[in-house]
Amino acid sequence: MTRRDFLTILVAGTGGAGLLRAQEGGMATRGVRPQPRGKPSGLPFHARFTDVAAQAGLRSPIIYGPVDGMDYILESMGCGVAFLDYDNDGWLDIFLLSGTRRTGPVEGASNRLYKNNRDGTFTDVTAKAGLTRQGWACGVTVGDYNNDGFEDLFITGWPQNILYRNNGDGTFSDVTEKAGLLHPGKRWGTGCTWVDYDRDGHLDLFVANYLVFDFDKIPPLGKDPACNFKGVPVNCGPRGLVGERPMLYRNNGNGTFTDVTAHSGVAAVPPVYGLTAVAADLDGDGWQEIYVACDSTPSLLFHNRGDGTFAEQGLQSGLAVNEDGREQAGMGIAIGDCDNDGRLDVLKTHFAEDTAALYRNMGHLNFEDVTLRSGLGVETRYVSWGNGIADFDNDGLPDLFWVTGSTFPEVERKYPEFPHKSPRILFRNLGNGKFEELLEAGPAVAEAHVSRGVAFGDFDNDGDLDILIMNMNEPPSLLRNDVTGTDHWLKVKLVGTKSNVSAIGAVVTVLNGGRKQIQSVLASSGYLSCNDRRLHFGLGSAASADLEIVWPNGLREELKDVSADQLITVRENAGVVARERFRA
Amino acid sequence: MRWFFITLLALAGAHLVHAQQPEMEAHLGKGTQLMQQQLFEAAAKEFEQALTLNPSDARAHFQFAVCLLSLGRNDEARQQFEQVRKLGGESRYITYYLGRLDLLSNDYTSAIRRLGSVVEDPPFPDTAFHLGVAYVSSGDISAGIKYLERAAKVLPRDFRVHYRLARAYASAGREQEAAHEFDLYTQYRDEHKSTETEARACTTALHSQSLEAAGEVCHRLFEPNDPEKLTLLGQLFGDAGAFDAALDPLKRAVRLDPKSFEAWHNLGVTYFRLQRYTDAREALEKAVALRPEFYGSVVLLGATLYMLGDDDAALPVLEHAHQLNPADTQTTNVLEKLHAARQKE
Repeated sequence: MTRRDFLTILVAGTGGAGLLRAQEGGMATRGVRPQPRGKPSGLPFHARFTDVAAQAGLRSPIIYGPVDGMDYILESMGCGVAFLDYDNDGWLDIFLLSGTRRTGPVEGASNRLYKNNRDGTFTDVTAKAGLTRQGWACGVTVGDYNNDGFEDLFITGWPQNILYRNNGDGTFSDVTEKAGLLHPGKRWGTGCTWVDYDRDGHLDLFVANYLVFDFDKIPPLGKDPACNFKGVPVNCGPRGLVGERPMLYRNNGNGTFTDVTAHSGVAAVPPVYGLTAVAADLDGDGWQEIYVACDSTPSLLFHNRGDGTFAEQGLQSGLAVNEDGREQAGMGIAIGDCDNDGRLDVLKTHFAEDTAALYRNMGHLNFEDVTLRSGLGVETRYVSWGNGIADFDNDGLPDLFWVTGSTFPEVERKYPEFPHKSPRILFRNLGNGKFEELLEAGPAVAEAHVSRGVAFGDFDNDGDLDILIMNMNEPPSLLRNDVTGTDHWLKVKLVGTKSNVSAIGAVVTVLNGGRKQIQSVLASSGYLSCNDRRLHFGLGSAASADLEIVWPNGLREELKDVSADQLITVRENAGVVARERFRA
Repeated sequence: MRWFFITLLALAGAHLVHAQQPEMEAHLGKGTQLMQQQLFEAAAKEFEQALTLNPSDARAHFQFAVCLLSLGRNDEARQQFEQVRKLGGESRYITYYLGRLDLLSNDYTSAIRRLGSVVEDPPFPDTAFHLGVAYVSSGDISAGIKYLERAAKVLPRDFRVHYRLARAYASAGREQEAAHEFDLYTQYRDEHKSTETEARACTTALHSQSLEAAGEVCHRLFEPNDPEKLTLLGQLFGDAGAFDAALDPLKRAVRLDPKSFEAWHNLGVTYFRLQRYTDAREALEKAVALRPEFYGSVVLLGATLYMLGDDDAALPVLEHAHQLNPADTQTTNVLEKLHAARQKE
């Protein structure tokens, strides 16, 4: 070998030393490595989930883009689901959003309403209800905006949002234009939530927008070399695409809405990639904040000043970014009291190679990122979406759940560690500020899907929380929870009179045996989804509890020594007006 | 990462290395190289093998510990750092790492004690930052602010520092100072993001456009007083084979930051690829002095010396490279050739 030969061979294998690795792909992933899993606690977990979707009659696939690829970001983001009682019969019905395909309408693809038959099965009543519609639906919020006693539906999507008024006779009417909610041009609405931000007893509407999208203007997969994940060509965005600002509409109390985005201060934020939006009183001052999970841009927290305006306080509160000041790919939001300290904490889901973030509410709108110290750092494998803070085993300690699924099916072929379909994630609350991931919580949890939205509710009225999940181009999953053990529970349904009828924004504190739990009535949660409006409290061994209710209008009510294992209906300023003990 | 290698040097200086064991050194070198490439799991395996061959080698324990810390295997990392301490006695580097591990396990009292004991003569520039975080986490906001303010002076462009300091000011009710720090945080975070975006655009342009057209895109990264951005720009040109274009930013970078291993190494690679071996030698000698265990620099320096015909100088350098990576058959062949020539003489 000559000196020249040596040179030729050597230079081929000696590269430069890197200083900065440019962010790959379009979403913020931090390349976080999972923390090692500790020794399992060995404690029993009394919840067991079984996917009963097929036997319940939920067999139609939820169409969303092509089955085997996601050429555009619109095809990859999926949509939400909702539990609601649209006919006020005391049984949860199901509303499933749907997408379509850019190649043309797909037969049978539609948003779907399923009526609960009260025997574990559902009947598709979409057509009868007037809800047949095919398009790119994204988010749903459920609430009685006209205070007529029936839950209405607002749906976001691309290129237009829709308001359906519940006519009270099993049918709905599209009143978007009449209500003043039809926007000009194309817009990609995502997160949405009813919120009575001015406490006038009428539900106003907050809508997050994702980004400026047009099939004709965004390069499809493979056309822009900058759109890649770990070197694999993938759909473009959100980075590199133009973000959007959220919007706020005030309810005029006469069936119409006024755009108050600018006046309320909501417009005073830079464009973001907004996804799930949730309203809750996070600082306990009686006025609801609005938190928006943003994808790859700092998340937004609109602090309600109580004068009809908001101040964006994401950074100041600690909810915008992670503890190192790095933005994450915010997808879903869950609100709940994880540590039973009487304050509402926040769980936000993110992309793969990152953890979900658990923010502990320290009071005064100050949140601390406790993700790692609470044990959530063990799970970084999957792209995570709809989530919940809910007590699945009724032990009085809220657990954590979220669904997962990739946005880049192409990546799996080269990197099997980034699977397209992935399992559900369940962390049980150990009660000491720590959570433990349950890797063997039954086949329904371990089953792999490409999931997005999730809603929690007791569809079979048996005293526990079941889970409804949106799966891309598959039928939904309905995870029936069968709790064993002897722990007690209490369900609370609130009906506003001076406040909005749905009581959205009300806060209930349950005290039992020295334990304090707090929950808020939310109109949106998880990823673009909506939960059962009846609040469910696990009580552990306690056979009764005291309740404190703060209504959206500020009225406080106390209920003493309420027996466990029943659903109580509380009317504002009238106390308990109905009690129901579910069948065993 | 640069600090990590400085620490290694310090450890190697503090504790005499045991009798040279080529196989162990090879695993150590490979592991170090893999860590440089951020392949921590593979690196950990190399260090484990090195320790199997010599369980009392402090350097191997130390590198293994840092690698485990990067992998989030904190309990194991702590054990390895403790082992280094047993073998070599107290060291402010070990104290620093143990303090950070205390912080990660929420033992703020111990973190404050450890990090506080080294903060006046900090082993790494971010010592005050971690100490400040420990104080804030423990509830002592005022002490936290004191050290975060110090960290902001040492690391003025680190957005993490400004974010933590802003949050601490806000907790202390010092709203105006909090707002100022949030502004700085936003500015530096945006700069960081902008650099990422520009680097991506530059790479795309270099692979899809003429050098002249791509140069215009890449020039957005050109900051005449920022050695890291200059090094990055040079590296991006080099990765695309545009070595002439890479020279200017890299030369500026080493002038601005003569302790930057990355800048010297990339400059050496560039000269080498331009066949300017005399210039390459100088740059690579600087790089190897900064990181003697980095195989890429060592082997390139050996090759440069060989190309210059300075076989006497090339031989020990290539032998070291061979120790670091015995699998490189080309180096083995050259070494055999050089040894044969020596024997003839």
